[in-house]
Amino acid sequence: MNKVCFKNINKDNPSSLATYEASGGYKVWRKILKGELSQGKILDELKTSGLRGRGGAGFPTGLKWSFMPRNQEGQKYVVCNSDEGEPGTCKDRDILRFNPHAVIEGMAIAGYVMKASVGYNYIRGEFMEPYYRFEEALNEAYGAGLLGEDINDSKITFNLYTHLGAGAYICGEETALLESIEGKKGQPRFKPPFPANVGLYGKPTTINNTESFASVPDILAKGGQWFADLGVPNSGGCKLFSVTGHVNNPANFEIPMGTPFSDLLEMAGGLREGRKLKAVIPGGSSTPVLPAKAALKMNMDYDSIDKAGSMLGAGSVIIMDDTTCMVKALTRLAHFYYDESCGQCTPCREGTGWIYRVLKRIMDGHGKNEDLDLLLSVQDKIIGNTICALGDAAAMPVESFIRHFRKEFEHYIKNGESMVAKDG
Amino acid sequence: MVDIEIEIDGKVVHGNSGESVISIADREGIEIPRFCYHKKLSVSANCRMCLIDIKGNPKPQPACSTLASAGMKLYTKNAKAKAAQKAVMEFLLINHPLDCPICDQGGECELQDVAMEYGSDVSVFNEGKRIVADKDIGALIHTDMTRCIHCTRCIRFGAEVAGIVEMGGTGRGEDLKIEPFLSEGIQSELSGNMIDVCPVGALTSKPFRFEVRSWQMNSIQSIARHDLVGSNIFTQTHKGKVKRVVARDNESVNETWISDRDRFSYQGLASEKRCLVPKIKVNNEWREASWQEALDFAVNGIKNNNSDGSKFGALTSKNATLEELYLLQKLTRGMGSDNLDYRSDFANPAAANILKSSISLAELEDIDHALIVGSHLRLEQPMINHRIRKATLNGASVSAINAQTFDSNYRISNNLLTAPQNTLATLSGVLKAVLNEASEKQPDYLNSVVVEQAHKDIADNLLNAENAVVILGEHVNGNPDSDGISQLVKDIAEASQAQTLNVSLTSNSLAAEQVGFRPVNGKNALEILASDLNSFVMFDIYPDFDCFNPESAIENLSRSDAFVVSLNSFEDDSVLKYSDVVLPIASFYETSGTHVNIDNISQSYSASVKSAGDSKPGWKVIKVLADLLEIQGFEFVDSCEVADEALSMTPSTSVARAKITGSEIPEISTVWQCAPYSVDALVRHSSSLQETQIGQINVASVSKATAKLLKLSEGDLFKGVPVNINNSVAEGCVFVHTYQPRKC
Repeated sequence: MNKVCFKNINKDNPSSLATYEASGGYKVWRKILKGELSQGKILDELKTSGLRGRGGAGFPTGLKWSFMPRNQEGQKYVVCNSDEGEPGTCKDRDILRFNPHAVIEGMAIAGYVMKASVGYNYIRGEFMEPYYRFEEALNEAYGAGLLGEDINDSKITFNLYTHLGAGAYICGEETALLESIEGKKGQPRFKPPFPANVGLYGKPTTINNTESFASVPDILAKGGQWFADLGVPNSGGCKLFSVTGHVNNPANFEIPMGTPFSDLLEMAGGLREGRKLKAVIPGGSSTPVLPAKAALKMNMDYDSIDKAGSMLGAGSVIIMDDTTCMVKALTRLAHFYYDESCGQCTPCREGTGWIYRVLKRIMDGHGKNEDLDLLLSVQDKIIGNTICALGDAAAMPVESFIRHFRKEFEHYIKNGESMVAKDG
Repeated sequence: MVDIEIEIDGKVVHGNSGESVISIADREGIEIPRFCYHKKLSVSANCRMCLIDIKGNPKPQPACSTLASAGMKLYTKNAKAKAAQKAVMEFLLINHPLDCPICDQGGECELQDVAMEYGSDVSVFNEGKRIVADKDIGALIHTDMTRCIHCTRCIRFGAEVAGIVEMGGTGRGEDLKIEPFLSEGIQSELSGNMIDVCPVGALTSKPFRFEVRSWQMNSIQSIARHDLVGSNIFTQTHKGKVKRVVARDNESVNETWISDRDRFSYQGLASEKRCLVPKIKVNNEWREASWQEALDFAVNGIKNNNSDGSKFGALTSKNATLEELYLLQKLTRGMGSDNLDYRSDFANPAAANILKSSISLAELEDIDHALIVGSHLRLEQPMINHRIRKATLNGASVSAINAQTFDSNYRISNNLLTAPQNTLATLSGVLKAVLNEASEKQPDYLNSVVVEQAHKDIADNLLNAENAVVILGEHVNGNPDSDGISQLVKDIAEASQAQTLNVSLTSNSLAAEQVGFRPVNGKNALEILASDLNSFVMFDIYPDFDCFNPESAIENLSRSDAFVVSLNSFEDDSVLKYSDVVLPIASFYETSGTHVNIDNISQSYSASVKSAGDSKPGWKVIKVLADLLEIQGFEFVDSCEVADEALSMTPSTSVARAKITGSEIPEISTVWQCAPYSVDALVRHSSSLQETQIGQINVASVSKATAKLLKLSEGDLFKGVPVNINNSVAEGCVFVHTYQPRKC
């Protein structure tokens, strides 16, 4: 446990440069500055490591970096997505608090690989403490001569800036994030063109999640194979899981990929006395919910969770015990997406509000028998038709909640009240 | 751009690689529904209505943002595409009020049209619909934002075409509102185009509101006459009245856009101040008369006061049609007179203004530098300014020699403030700098000219450009040095191998030039108005706006021995003061005619409606006057015959080189620039245009130092216009920009 991003979490002053360097930090970066590590070698190690994007999509990081037209003339950018807003996730917050230098080093390495001289770390607007910790670390790094123009006469330039968001979930979508950095309203761009070709200020840009960047220095220090071996095939390395909900010890856990879900549940202190596991959302609120039976059979890696019928996402495990009213849970989720839709494209702007209103009506005791079919039809009309993934994220839980817990919904519609005891 | 083959719905079609799929489909006549896509605006792909199925793509993709690549197979109507399109249609309709019966857009609504094919008969949406509070955004555009489908065409139009970001999206999700950021509403001179681009009834024409249903109107092809472009329009009429004007596509003239001036001026037609019946002045009393009586009265008056033609003079406004201009010059010359002019608002109509335009409207988009001399281009020639703005978006730079820094919708990188009395010297400096750089021989008159750094900068801009244009604007008309100025502009352009664009001769001035409506040996406008001539025909002249010195013009024309026949569309007290007969003539859209635009394209149009009251088309009135005066050669049956004869004339092109000599201009001069919505009688009577901020322009700008010399302080009246002291004006001049009558 806690082998990569969280390796210093139990030390004094975990976020300081001294602590980071004592654990081998900036060794890779210094090697690069001395010209001892080539871009090709770094890309090879990353590909070997099996590191997949930790923001939720799970796209192989090495492959993503290799898409960048790095030999193209002109400005290029590296952007870190620390706009962690997915309900259920809080891992990047703790990386920024306890290991900010790993993010800085990871981004600097990325800048070197992709020949981007400028980086931005876009931090969620509500994250004040992480923001200050990261800024502190950034100052330390500049002070130690690790960033800037022509660093140590290496001809390598990398300037890193922090950008604090303003509290919109949609800015976690990478192109909305770019718009936001540019000073515009955070609304996703249509793709193609992809950011690797037309990104920030129209220039080639690579955007990675905080955890992905923070994993890079150790991968290069200890080798891609070392990292891959921590996990299971197709899911290399360790991964941070944020376990929240009805557990005794909700927390972030950095565990090897492939760890059984039941082990993770135990680490989180298990369920409270006398409660039974009812459902699990394994990857954050946008991923389909799983009933207890399916969840208990899965391991925490991409393929296994996929097989169980959901997605690993950002590793945000929401535990629900038998006191949970699934109608209420879905209504709350639907309200979140209704509130956070940017409103730019039609299906999401209109559909999220429709879904929420129907669910609210059911909750208010005015549900109709045809409402469940209506909900399924509305979510089906959103999925795949929107500019960005928020539409899909809003729609997918609807289908999975109703599929797995249809009886509860029907009960609510029929009786105007929840099937689950109210004292929960 | 490579020609490629793609397949749409099984049909093999050709396109360019990198071209959007929707534009290929449009060209091929394959229908794909859309709302946010507009051929002249950037792609935003937000409405999702144009989702189509692309082979190999798991999700449907928008046709507007999908670029064609060779071998692509697209399905616009298969089950997957249809399902996506119908889904989007349903979402668009759930919160739309569906109040078509009381919506002005009904019958010409894109949402209505598309819903007929893609919408469902029955809605399963049973929740409350969204309601959006409206803002008053000005006198021209009415808003019903509950109907808005958030396509953002209006936002993109503002940002990309008008160049002023006035509309924006505030809020998010369902609360996304399309609204102006500022409380003063929409002020762009092109704002009316937002009505055209709005696919629904959210933005509709305020003056047209609830007038008539769109399908009850006739649409008649016509030409707008307020500027040098001659924008192509449809006049839409109902029961003999023009109810609305909308843009008509003509890529080489106005593309898809028209200015607000062209769009809303028609309102003036319904003004209560129209001249509806002929009037004659008998014993100093005005009375109405029949056409027969009035014409006889006019002809007798002219004959009695005019034993030989040299005592006759004719003036016209520059808004007359080609036919009217031609017939009036023919009448005047038939009378044996050469006293005729259309430049009654020029300080120096003796000047030839020899500058010919050498670049077309469409070519303006390809320039890489423009030097503007004496023009507030954005307000004076909005559609020409639009082309320059397009060039700037492609990287062109702009410099200016103006008496004031004007609010432009592109960056003017080099703005040389120059008072009228210094314009000649400044241009001489620029010319000398250009010749110096090009090491060319210099004419003698430049010997004493001192080249300043500012002149050199302007010269460098021109010389560094590959494809520059020098634009001469209408402020030169009020400058006694206009002759020298236009000569210098020509010389500068030649020496720097730049193109020229003369926008100083506005409206239909080029038609007047075509028919030679200026004296060869006779008296020009200024001389006519100061002369002892004793019979006049004044065509469409409103002296308070159209004469350089209204006061003296009115006084001279009011002489007891002067017999004045006025032809006007609108009542005017000054006209009544000096006239003996007022013959009511048709206004814009009430007569057939021809407009000659800056590209020298003659665009003819028919009358859209019958002329108001008893008024008659101007060309017919002149023809009858000529017949009654027994002048030969007026056997015309219709205006087309007149136009044919007029266009067969070859206008004199050889003009002698103008002398570069400064005139006597006071040390502190005045530039009097008529506000854009006061340039002719029709716009002056359009109530909605007058209500806008542009319509209300009324300011005499002066620098602090000059104000001190003139003993003016903020808020004082300068010639009746409120003084504003600011640093945007050249020292030594007052820049008056106003809707008020001109004061010399």
